[in-house]
Amino acid sequence: MAASQIMEMTSSEDEDQDLIELEAIRRPYRAVKFDLTHANQEDLEAQRYHEPKHTNALYRNSWSSSTQRVLSSMPSRSIRFNQSTALSRSTKMRRRRPLSIVSTAHCATDQDVFRGQEDCDDDVTQNEDLLNKLQGLSAGECVRVLREMSLTVSEKRQIRAWVVCWDAGQPLSANRALCCHQFKSFISFLKVLCGGCYSRVSQQKSIKLWQGVLKNISAHFGTGILSYFIFLRRLLHYNILLFLITGLFLVLPQISNPPSSKNKPAATADLWMFTGMGILTDSVMFYGHYANSTNGNCKAEMKLCPENYNIPLAYIFTIGAGMFITCVMLVYRISKSFGRSFRTFKTTSNLALKVFCSWDFKVSKKRSVKLQSGNICIQLKEMLSELSCKKQKRNLYSTFGWLSLHFLVWSICLLCIAACMLAVYYLHPYIDQGSSKVNSFQKAVGLLKLPLVMSCVSHLLPGFFDMLSRVEHYDSPRTQVYVSIARNLLLKGCIFSVLCYQWLKKISGRKNEQNKQQCWETLVGQELYRLVLMDLLIAMSYIILAEFLWGLCIRNITLRKRKLEFDIARDVLELIYSQTLVWFGVLFSPLLPAVQIGKLFLLFYLKKTSLMMNFQPPRKHWKATQMNALFTKLLFFPSFAGALAFVIYTMWRVRPSSDCGPFSNLRSMLLLGKRWIRGLGRSNPSFVWLSWAYNNLVDNPLFLFTLVGLFLAIIYIHMQVLDGQKMIISRLQKQIDNEGEDKKFLIAKVQALNEASAQQ
Amino acid sequence: MGNKQTIFTDEQLDAYQDCTFFTRKEILRLHGRYHELAPHLVPMDYTNDPDVKIPLALIVNMPELKENPFRDRIVESFSEDGHGNLSFNDFVDMFSVLSEMAPRELKAIYAFKIYDFNVDNYICKEDLEKTLNKLTKEELTPEEVNLVCEKAIEEADLDGDNKLSFADFENMISRAPDFLSTFHIRI
Repeated sequence: MAASQIMEMTSSEDEDQDLIELEAIRRPYRAVKFDLTHANQEDLEAQRYHEPKHTNALYRNSWSSSTQRVLSSMPSRSIRFNQSTALSRSTKMRRRRPLSIVSTAHCATDQDVFRGQEDCDDDVTQNEDLLNKLQGLSAGECVRVLREMSLTVSEKRQIRAWVVCWDAGQPLSANRALCCHQFKSFISFLKVLCGGCYSRVSQQKSIKLWQGVLKNISAHFGTGILSYFIFLRRLLHYNILLFLITGLFLVLPQISNPPSSKNKPAATADLWMFTGMGILTDSVMFYGHYANSTNGNCKAEMKLCPENYNIPLAYIFTIGAGMFITCVMLVYRISKSFGRSFRTFKTTSNLALKVFCSWDFKVSKKRSVKLQSGNICIQLKEMLSELSCKKQKRNLYSTFGWLSLHFLVWSICLLCIAACMLAVYYLHPYIDQGSSKVNSFQKAVGLLKLPLVMSCVSHLLPGFFDMLSRVEHYDSPRTQVYVSIARNLLLKGCIFSVLCYQWLKKISGRKNEQNKQQCWETLVGQELYRLVLMDLLIAMSYIILAEFLWGLCIRNITLRKRKLEFDIARDVLELIYSQTLVWFGVLFSPLLPAVQIGKLFLLFYLKKTSLMMNFQPPRKHWKATQMNALFTKLLFFPSFAGALAFVIYTMWRVRPSSDCGPFSNLRSMLLLGKRWIRGLGRSNPSFVWLSWAYNNLVDNPLFLFTLVGLFLAIIYIHMQVLDGQKMIISRLQKQIDNEGEDKKFLIAKVQALNEASAQQ
Repeated sequence: MGNKQTIFTDEQLDAYQDCTFFTRKEILRLHGRYHELAPHLVPMDYTNDPDVKIPLALIVNMPELKENPFRDRIVESFSEDGHGNLSFNDFVDMFSVLSEMAPRELKAIYAFKIYDFNVDNYICKEDLEKTLNKLTKEELTPEEVNLVCEKAIEEADLDGDNKLSFADFENMISRAPDFLSTFHIRI
């Protein structure tokens, strides 16, 4: 069957081949064209179509009036059917077949999808049906269904009023407000933090940060560039959350209860703000300052006594809670974006999608709108020219040339990455050899060399890779974007892993040494702090030099006053990299999220100003939904997952330094938590169950294996269900095609019958 | 909510909140925007649901809609009389459907109405030609327009009547994840 051939082809890889073969097969079936009349005879004239190119002699395109009358009264042609199916979808009775609704609801209710239609006689029964459906739902579901119905707001308000009356006089909102009031107020507090992440569920949404600025940006530049700024705002929310958790539960108690001053005087250092040395070393900024244990002097009023606060335990729990909450939020966002960007079939209807889905409604400035029209025009012309000319088959010679070009560019990129890795390896400062031979300023500069090199490399080298990739010719611009993202990630991942390797070597090397004067945790925290700050400085200087100054040159030199093009992928990857640094560093430097908050604020305003002055609206279409989904996934893995693995490994396996920080007399940080839970059962009888649960469930490998196995089984089941649904969808699509064929056949038969009876 | 406002009763605000994707603050802000379109026409006190409609010519002067090529069709699709005169309910409805929280199905219904210029519940070739001309500001030649329309209908038409019914349109939209982000106006 031709339909099945079409379905098989849509799953193949070659899109152009699909299009050409699709045309070849579908053309004969386009021969049937039938006119539909409504009431007026004049509409006939308006609905004459062009003669098809391959007319099958069996079919024609003018039908007798009796046939047309039959056609126009087909139920699927009437508006009512569309309404009923739309309504049945929105009332969540998805499993019910729409035909049953049609049979009971031939006429519309006053809920018309298409306005201006007359009401029908049996309105009242249909209203009752709808209200019965709504009655069966909970208040929240009812609101959701009401919002998703395709009716006017005045009609919806009427329905709502009826539902409310039916509900014995209690308004919907009162019902919802009564239950779980405290839970909801907690949720709304979280939402204030997250700035509307969960806005679909919320009753009270907080005022979104930078709403007006983002609107202005989208008006000028469209959805693609807006997605960068929305990503930045989201990262800001994550950092604010992390900062609040660590600030409230860790930093504040530590500040209010400073440890007894140690014998070492406060060291002074040059450029202390940039290097994190000097005053900052022994401050709440870094791990080393935090108290070792609780001060057990306070006996009475246990709750109010600040000195009874167990700082080491708080350390583990706040960092753990912060990472856990961030993980949950990231996974939630991934699942939401996955739902939006999921497609079952590879699309072949590019032209129709370009016509209907490419206009960005957010763009509202005259010049930007003009540019957008121009872009769409160019893209449509390109698509038409692609369709008209055949795809050139590559012969062996050109394939070889293409492959060797790719190989060359990839080898240059890999060589650059290897060179950077070596540079990072050898530039790593040996702080424990710091003697007083060099003065403090040179020492500071020596410390800043590595972060400077790393930031420069991560900012500039991707631009170099992009320039190289212009030489290569890719089949589609999407492939080009994916390859540049892959190279960028590889670069950043490699140099960062070299850094991690250096740290682990230092940590393990310290075990053998007897010289234990310094806190390795504070040192690692200081390195990450330096990296974060240097990244900000380099980003700022890049914006000023490469965007402002260079943009100025370009505008004045070129005759057409061209502006720069915003590279969304590169800038988003920069943000992901800087966030990775913060997540790695939060264990050793609990105030690092605060630094990141300041950095993100600064970056936002700089980037916005630079965008308005130096950049033009994008020429290529940026698939915002899919790219956002990709960047959220990249933020989770490898960025957050790597940081989480690092934090867990450090807490679990690495021995803390023995003379500073909250865990100085333990073998590992997590051991404190274990001991505490085990001791909890003994000290406080009401928590015995918690201690039991920990000993037998969390600490028990068998239980964990079972849990993981169960989890994998659930994932496998979901995957199979998804495969099954894909199969159902393809079968249903075949069924649609078959029914279309049947319909054409029957119409032709009706026409033949009418002609036969007319002749008699 | 602490602030005392006399534009709407609490019951009205609850109703709006349940029927649209906006919160109370946003509905009040929308009322402010509606009022400033025609200050002499729109009363500040909406507690008794006055029957006030703003004509099309004033609505399309909003900065969000002014340069949009489909502005007339957008406003007409949301008006109850079909001629573009919006009451406050219609105004809120329009921005609610075009907000980022409206689901794909709802947006597809209204997008279909917007692109259906002759309001016959099908997107026929003439509708498509008008859409294309508005999109490209008539920079394509008539032959190119013709070719694009034919190809688009061929691609999207499932049941072979050379027109796009709502089912065809929705099926095509389901293959475009970008539709949700582009069919969105911020207010």
